[in-house]
Amino acid sequence: MNVIEKILAKASGNKEVRPGDVVVANVDLMVMHDLSSNFVMKVFENEMENAKIADPSRIAFVFDHNFAPATQQAAEALAAVRKFAAKHGIRHVFDSGQGSVHHVIVESGLWKPGQVIIGCDSHTPIYGALGVFATGVGNNSMAALGFQHSLGWFRVPETIQVYFHGAMGPAVTPRDISQYVVGRLGEDGAVYQAIEYAGPYIQGLAVEDRMLFPLMSIDVGAKCGYMNPDEKTIAFAQAHSAAKDFEMPMNDPGVAYKQVLDIDVSRIGPQVACPPTVGNVRPIEEAVGIPIDIAEVGGSTGGRIEDIRMLARAFEGRKVHPEVRLQVVPVSRGTYSTALREGLFQILHDAGANIFPPSAGSNQAFNMGAMAEDDVMLSTQARNFPGRNGHPKSRHYLASTLTVAASAITGRITDPRG
Amino acid sequence: MTDKLVFEGTCWKFGDNIPTDLITPTHIMWKTPREMAKHVLETANPDFPLKVQPGDILVAGRNFGCSSGRALAAKALKATGIGAIVAELFARTFYRNGHEIGLPLLEVGGVDDLVETGDRVRVDITRGIVENLTSGKSIQGNPPSDFLLEMLQAGGLIPLLKSGSKYFEAVTLK
Repeated sequence: MNVIEKILAKASGNKEVRPGDVVVANVDLMVMHDLSSNFVMKVFENEMENAKIADPSRIAFVFDHNFAPATQQAAEALAAVRKFAAKHGIRHVFDSGQGSVHHVIVESGLWKPGQVIIGCDSHTPIYGALGVFATGVGNNSMAALGFQHSLGWFRVPETIQVYFHGAMGPAVTPRDISQYVVGRLGEDGAVYQAIEYAGPYIQGLAVEDRMLFPLMSIDVGAKCGYMNPDEKTIAFAQAHSAAKDFEMPMNDPGVAYKQVLDIDVSRIGPQVACPPTVGNVRPIEEAVGIPIDIAEVGGSTGGRIEDIRMLARAFEGRKVHPEVRLQVVPVSRGTYSTALREGLFQILHDAGANIFPPSAGSNQAFNMGAMAEDDVMLSTQARNFPGRNGHPKSRHYLASTLTVAASAITGRITDPRG
Repeated sequence: MTDKLVFEGTCWKFGDNIPTDLITPTHIMWKTPREMAKHVLETANPDFPLKVQPGDILVAGRNFGCSSGRALAAKALKATGIGAIVAELFARTFYRNGHEIGLPLLEVGGVDDLVETGDRVRVDITRGIVENLTSGKSIQGNPPSDFLLEMLQAGGLIPLLKSGSKYFEAVTLK
């Protein structure tokens, strides 16, 4: 069995599971953001009779779309969740301003290798870089099986392996590679499947960069993504998980895959996901020259300390183009604090950028990032679907931090290789 | 819902990669499903929320319901009273959410060429067959798994947990 099958077998009390089996498994951690925690709360309170939460310590709420609610409606929604959490003894509430949901959870240490983690958020597969089976589920699953029984139902997925080799060229980042995979597989290329990211390129990446791959698995429709854990995964878990007594699940030798995709990283340049969807990924040459109004480094796929460091380096002695608003959104208070300490925000502030509180940034335009009909944004965010950020005709391009930096200087989509 | 899971209605067609962002955009997110139903999919087709009739059949292309996993999208569509949704392929989260709220879904490769908006369509979920009553042609698709059919028959996950299922026998439900 592979890592995912082993975790699901153990959590469901089976010796073995096979792709296609439906299992009911023990769930260790349930993650929701400010919007989904409110939706799940409503199902729990309005659609279930005399329901009780089996284990409130397995539930975590992170208010990331609203870093400070801008409307009464949003304020009421958050207030209701706080009240619900207090009533049911849910202590893991990370309130507005703590950061982007999954990065906050990774930093919190609430996770542990070998676990089953579910989230009412489609980017939940991110924890697959940590020796965990993690996937997104709906509000009814979360309330009825998760809250009430600490359980989840899962169809054991078939597994596709994506094998990466070669070295990245200049000004290419792991974001470009993960985005390339979305274009290559297609946004429905792995629906209902698990994806194993493997090969020397993946082994060479830091765990922080590896997380981009399972995170973006949803953009090819996958159920989950993961890496077969190695010494880096173990070291990361020892440093960041609150649990010290974990057993790291590993693939059995000779596991089979439904499909194997081979990718030579050295042949991939900077990539841009063009409107209207995340799967419309093009080599940057096809997008160069498009004027932009808004540039953003932020969101779960772009506000990490590595991103803010790259951005600040690009702006040393340079200014943001006068017709561009550059928004910087760190993924967590830890990231914010490091960026302050390293003087990165001073450089970016002097260059003309606006620094925003740790949050999901412009994702879904809750607190920020609404776009007018003619607006064009280039960001490190995960999604660009029409209507997600204001006017359905506004255009949103997705790219790496280096591409966003180069473009925020020139005012047009610019190849960071110069 | 009929016991047989067979639905007959007028077809509304949509394209590939319809994200939940277009089904239920953020600005209607705090409304109830019944209120959301008045705006559902309006950006993709302004006529849809105004003219959709109970029992109508929504037919979509590949990857219907992609992007955010928001279950509201399935709930708002169900609140319009549509009979079923047929798609070339559903996004995983939408497929899961739909069954959990008792919204009949059927995956049928080739359905895009089978029907046009306005055609009369019959969908047999259990047998996995979609039939264009206007043209007389039909195609076989992939019926849901036994587990999902059981959930659908029960009306969703919450009623299924109440009525019991062999899938939940191995675990102790408190």
